Amino acid sequence: MPSPENSPTVIDIENLSFAYDRDIILENINLHVQTLDFLAIIGPNGGGKSTLLKLILGLLKPKQGRITIFGEAPSKNLSLIGYVPQNTNVNTDFPIKVIEVVLMGHVGEKTPLFGYGKEEIACAMGALAQVGMQDFAQNKIGSLSGGQRQRVMIARALCAHPKILILDEPTSSIDIKGQKEVYELLKMLNKNITIIVVSHDISVILEYANKAAHINKRLSYHDISDKRSTFHTHGDEEHFCEIELLQMLGSDSCGSCEHEENTATWREKK
Amino acid sequence: MIEALSFGFIQHALIAGILVSFAAGVIGSLIVVNRMVFLAGGMAHASYGGIGMAVYFGFPIFMGASLFAVGAAMLIAFLTMHKRHRMDTFIGLIWAVGMAIGVIFIDLTPGYNVDLMSYLFGSILAVGTEDIYFMAILLAIIVFVITFWYRDILAVSYDSEYAKLRGVNVRFFYTLILILSALTVVVAIKVVGLILVIAMLTIPVYIAEKLSTSLLSMMFISGLIATLFTLTGLWFSYTYNLTSGASIILVSAASLGLFLLLHKNK
Repeated sequence: MPSPENSPTVIDIENLSFAYDRDIILENINLHVQTLDFLAIIGPNGGGKSTLLKLILGLLKPKQGRITIFGEAPSKNLSLIGYVPQNTNVNTDFPIKVIEVVLMGHVGEKTPLFGYGKEEIACAMGALAQVGMQDFAQNKIGSLSGGQRQRVMIARALCAHPKILILDEPTSSIDIKGQKEVYELLKMLNKNITIIVVSHDISVILEYANKAAHINKRLSYHDISDKRSTFHTHGDEEHFCEIELLQMLGSDSCGSCEHEENTATWREKK
Repeated sequence: MIEALSFGFIQHALIAGILVSFAAGVIGSLIVVNRMVFLAGGMAHASYGGIGMAVYFGFPIFMGASLFAVGAAMLIAFLTMHKRHRMDTFIGLIWAVGMAIGVIFIDLTPGYNVDLMSYLFGSILAVGTEDIYFMAILLAIIVFVITFWYRDILAVSYDSEYAKLRGVNVRFFYTLILILSALTVVVAIKVVGLILVIAMLTIPVYIAEKLSTSLLSMMFISGLIATLFTLTGLWFSYTYNLTSGASIILVSAASLGLFLLLHKNK
């Protein structure tokens, strides 16, 4: 994986904290994402993963600490980030063509007075070709499978030629085959683009990611690019044993981790 | 039927029916894809407050209802942006309070009492020339807004979070959609009445949704279907001496049933 330690930092998060009213969601987060990283963000529901993404995207403002993207505030470099939101399977009745969804990636930039420009359409078709969906451009979005729809959403994000691609639970509601296709696509895109994926799906994600951040209010960070070889795969199944994985993550740098304590108290209660 | 076309009021009714049907098709599409049907119902009923005030203070009914409905729309926009999870409560509240204001103002109006039924169920045969101008101007504004801001409105309707990320002013377009909905609801009251408005805004759209691949084609097809329903309903109303608004809605509902039956068997 082409991500040497000295490659330039694209996202820099320092001492970040965030709270809704009095509920502390994120506490003292430090994270440095480097060029062409494939970072997996994992953690329990309500642990603050989506909140962290919203902070990176500038949709929320940090209460403490700071986030810089290419050395500037997130709002200044939004065009460099491609975002694929969660739950692309809602609103499938909406009468919209695949190409129109992808063209949305352009909204807000310089656009012609009416309709869509020729260059925009060419660019959107290019993005669709990148994800292998060019033949579906005129189809209604609702007629696609979950995996196909997710690839269209990735094309929409690619439409703006981002340097960073952020995906929130990209495989949460698609079948196994679709999931694999999405991750293979991300692996290919990772040659030129830094990728950040939030996912529950630990075993699959670690096959593709080179770094993992576990977020549960606080963050513990793991470089797993060199550890992959230490895992066993079971028979023909192409995934890692999650128990081994959790042991590895737990033993690494989790001294201050809250989820460890929680697990312990939970066990005692049982 | 042909000789009926020579009557001025019938001509007015037909022109108004076509104008309002197209407005309802376009805006109904936006209301349905944005899941605002209940909201449109709330605005329709709230606008009765404007009707009552217009009667009491003696200014044009359309103007009173429009101002009041736009006010209600902006209030709803403001409230739902800040407390989205309480949206249904606010809509219910505005729905009832608006109507109550209307009833009280009409009570307070001395002497002549307006026919409440004509606002509840429409009075397309009483459409005047000014009403037609008002409807035509509204349709022109709607067409202008949709063509000029189509992609922004599409982005906000399809995926508002993403639109916000790409720099679209989501609040502005959300409020704009609500205001256009309020105005459309007001003109549709003239044709089908405020109780039946929701059906006019949703039935043609529901059929069109199944037949279209884009929002724009959905709007156009809805407009055509709504026109067809309105004209057919008017014919029934004229021929059998029935209430026009209710006739239009029942024609729409029967057609929807037929459509779903045929569509399923396909």
